[in-house]
Formats: sequence, C-alpha cells, structure tokens
Amino acid sequence: MKPQDNRAWLLLLPASALMAFVGLVPLVTVLNFSFHDIFMLDSMHWVGAEWYESIITSPAFHASLARSLLFSALALGVQLPLGIAVALMLLRAGRLGRLMLLLVAVPLVVPWNMIPIMWLSLVNPDTGLAGQAMRALGIAFDYKFTAWHTWALLVVMDTWHWLGLVVILAYAGLSGIPPAYHQAAAIDGASRWQRFRFIELPRIMGALFIVILLRFVDSFMIYTEAFAINAGGPNGATTFLSLALGEEIKGFSYGSAAAHAMVYFLIVVAVVRVFVTATDQRKRSAERGMA
Amino acid sequence: MIRRIPTALALVALAGFILLPLAQTILLSFTATLPHDGVTEGEISLINYRNIFASPALVDSLRNSLVYVLLNVALCLIAGLPAAYAFARYRFVGDRHFLFLMLAFRVTPPVVLSLPIFILFAQFGLVNSPVGIALVHCLFNLPIAIWILESFIAAVPREFDETAFLDGHSLPGFFLRHLIPAIAPGIGVAAFFCFVFSWVEVVFARILTVTDGKPITMAINALFTFQTDFGLVMAMTIFSLLPGLAMIWFVRNHIARGFVIRT
Repeated sequence: MKPQDNRAWLLLLPASALMAFVGLVPLVTVLNFSFHDIFMLDSMHWVGAEWYESIITSPAFHASLARSLLFSALALGVQLPLGIAVALMLLRAGRLGRLMLLLVAVPLVVPWNMIPIMWLSLVNPDTGLAGQAMRALGIAFDYKFTAWHTWALLVVMDTWHWLGLVVILAYAGLSGIPPAYHQAAAIDGASRWQRFRFIELPRIMGALFIVILLRFVDSFMIYTEAFAINAGGPNGATTFLSLALGEEIKGFSYGSAAAHAMVYFLIVVAVVRVFVTATDQRKRSAERGMA
Repeated sequence: MIRRIPTALALVALAGFILLPLAQTILLSFTATLPHDGVTEGEISLINYRNIFASPALVDSLRNSLVYVLLNVALCLIAGLPAAYAFARYRFVGDRHFLFLMLAFRVTPPVVLSLPIFILFAQFGLVNSPVGIALVHCLFNLPIAIWILESFIAAVPREFDETAFLDGHSLPGFFLRHLIPAIAPGIGVAAFFCFVFSWVEVVFARILTVTDGKPITMAINALFTFQTDFGLVMAMTIFSLLPGLAMIWFVRNHIARGFVIRT
C-alpha cells in the first residue's frame, strides 16, 4: 500500500500550472461566454441559460447529435471486431505478424489534415488508383452528392486511420496469455468461440476499455477529416456536432458557440465518468475473484 | 495447413488496405502534376521534392514543426515526471480527482477550447509562434506522459528509491542519476506518444498560426489554391510522415505499454 503524503502535491505543481493555463482557464472562459450574448468581445451581456435552452430544443442540434452518435457507433462497430480479429491473426503469423503490426501503426502518425487529402486523391476517378478501378468496374462512386457514399468514405477512411490503435492494444493483451491456458482449453475440448470468450477476451478487456473510450470521443467529435471530405454535405448529411460548432465560431456567434462547446464537453465528461466507474467495478470484481 | 491459405489471403488484403493510400501518395509525389520548367505534366520526376527546398515557406514549416514538437515533448516530460512519481509512490488528498481531470482534458475536443485558447494566447503574445503550439498541446499530451511514466515508475521497487535517499541523494539528484536511467524505456515511450499526438494535431495548430510560425500541416493547407500542385502536396505529406515512421521503429518493442489507463 502506498503511504499517504500530501506533500506529493508539490511534485504536481509544474503539471498543475500547465494544465491550469491551457485547460482550466480556457474552460472557465467558455463557461462564462456561454451565459452571455457576445457580438464584440468587449461588449457582452448576460443572457443566463438562453443559449442552452435554444440548443436543447433545436432540431438541428438533435439531428447532428444523432449523426455523431451514428458515426461513433459505425466506427466502433467496424473497428473493434476487425481490430481484434486482425490482432488474433497477426499473433498466429509470428515474425511476419510483428512486422505487420508496425505497418498498421503507420496511419496513426499521418497528420490529420493529410488523411482526407490522401483518400480524396485515391478515389479521384481520373487520377486515383481506387477511383480508376471503380470506374473500370462500372461503379459510380460519388461522395460529393450521394449521402451514403460520403458516409462510406468517412467510415473506411476512419477505419484506415485508427485500426492500428485497436490492433496494437489487442495484440499486446493477447500476447501475454501463457500457452498453458490454450493447452488446458484444448484438453477440455473448448470451441474457438469459448476460448475467445473465456481466455482471450478477459485478457484484453483493460486495453479495450481505453480503446473504446479514445475511439468514442475522437469519432464523436470528428472534425478535420469530415470537413475536408465534404464540409458536412451533401445537404447536411454529414454535419456532425463539431462541424456545426465550427460554423458557429466562423459566424462570430461566440456566446452560442460557447454554449454548444459546453454541451459537448459535458457529454464527453459524462461518458468518461461512466467508463471510469465501469473500470473501477471491473477491477474490484477482479480483486474479489482473486481473493 | 489448410488454415494457412485464408490467413495469408487476409494478411495480403490487410497490407493492401493499409498500403493503398500510401502508394497513391508516393506515386503522386514523384509525378509532376503541373507543368514546370523542363518537366511536362504527368512525367515521373523528382521535381516536387526539389520544389520543397526551393520554397522558403515550406522549409520554414519543417523547422517550425520540429521546434514545436520537440519543445512539447520536453515540456511534457519535465512536468510529467515529478507528477508521475507522485502518483506512483504516494496517496494524497484529491489524487483520484486530479487523474480524472487529466483524463477529461485528454478527451476534450480541441474545437471546444479553440476560441478561448486563441484569446488567451493572443494576450500573452503566443500566437504565430511554435511556443504557443507546444504549450497548448500539453493539454492532451501531459496526461498521456503522466500515465505512461507512472506505469513504468510503479514497476520499479520502492527499495530502489530508499537506497538512493540513504546514500544522501536529494530528490532532483535521485531523479537525474537513478530514476531516469532506470525507466529509460518509459521515457522513450512517453516521448513517442507525445511526439506523435503533437505532430498530427491540426485544430490548435491552425488557430494559433494566423500569419507566421506555420507547421508542416498548415503549410500544406496553404498550398491549396485554384490550381493546386498535388504532386508538391504529396511530397510534403511524405516528408511529414518520416519522423513518425522513425519513431515507430525506435519504440517498436515497447509501443503497447502506453495505454494502461490510470484513474
């Protein structure tokens, strides 16, 4: 057990000062803005919770919230099972698998504004490899004006970008399983699914929690990539929460933008809270299981 | 043995999926996409790479990117190491709340804080300089540095500290001479993740560089005009990938240690 010593706060001073400057002060500023009507920054007047009321009752907010939730669900629904499956496969592939692990990590280091540039040139029907192939096959791929094509492009691009994160973490968890577990399961005649459910899944749950959390918040608030692909179109079909917020800031509607920002912040923090509680419960039940 | 063939096919499909956009980018980076002196459009050439070094704005952007990222990594390690030590070795009032706050800031979407950050940084003269970007990226990198370093410090037995203190080492002396060498791989992993997350971020980098101090990402955005030289864009994209690729190679054996969630 670690000793209790409140002087440890002294060691936190540099970190606290930094976080106060770049995190806490801006957050309090947003909170303050969100209760004001602001045209110029030197002339603000108090409006109370008016912005919040208009957001909560706005159909446009409900629609973009639904789109963001759907996008997160699609991203997680595709990337999580696919990432685990790839990790299981790479684990069996030995040395080649370790090299492939480095390859799937490559998209993680591509700057975010380059990713849509790369994908748009890939699906360009005149010069892109995939675009030319689809044209040759007679597929009329039109991400500009067909809503579900825009969605498909976004989900595939996001999967390309983030699959590596799921794979790396699942791989790390899986590679720590002692071979004796699998041998024992084989003797007991366990099916492939049973081995996954009772041996492999528990080993990667901890890593999967952080993957789900990071993937949820990043896909829920997708901005750079979605904006570059179709700027929220066609016809608002991919206007996610953050794109709507970007519009507000560009329109100099700071009070309303701040209230939107606070609402998103609260949604994200609520999700984090749920995750932390779930992680704690899992840890506690694991400890009880060992005792 | 029968299972080998589907696995091989799946591996090839996966490699193809990951490599396809990269192949497209490399291909275009070696293609002249606009007519230049002595090179016709569509020709395979090194013209795009030569044009990068002919443009002072692009060369500056390479320097700006490296300066702000290295500064950010240094800040995160210097502020993160004592904090990580505190969490690894002691319990104290509010420790769990502090960690929750760190997690909340780590996942706060940059677009939420972009406006007040701009106003705040403008008052301190931190706009248009790599220092501003280095500071603001601590918002999501410092929590990561603390988590990673904490998990590596916690793996070092407590007796290690006590022996050093009995030998008469002060806390800073212990950090420099004993702790840092003992957790060198952890420092490397923390530096890797800070480097990568800072290198790829664009929302803060955009709002904090209005006229000057633009990193690679923003220099590429500035290349988009009514007649964009896509070959040049792709050549710059390839350049922007190289440091990240080098980092992946350096930390390949430790890469998964970074994501042990601490609350």
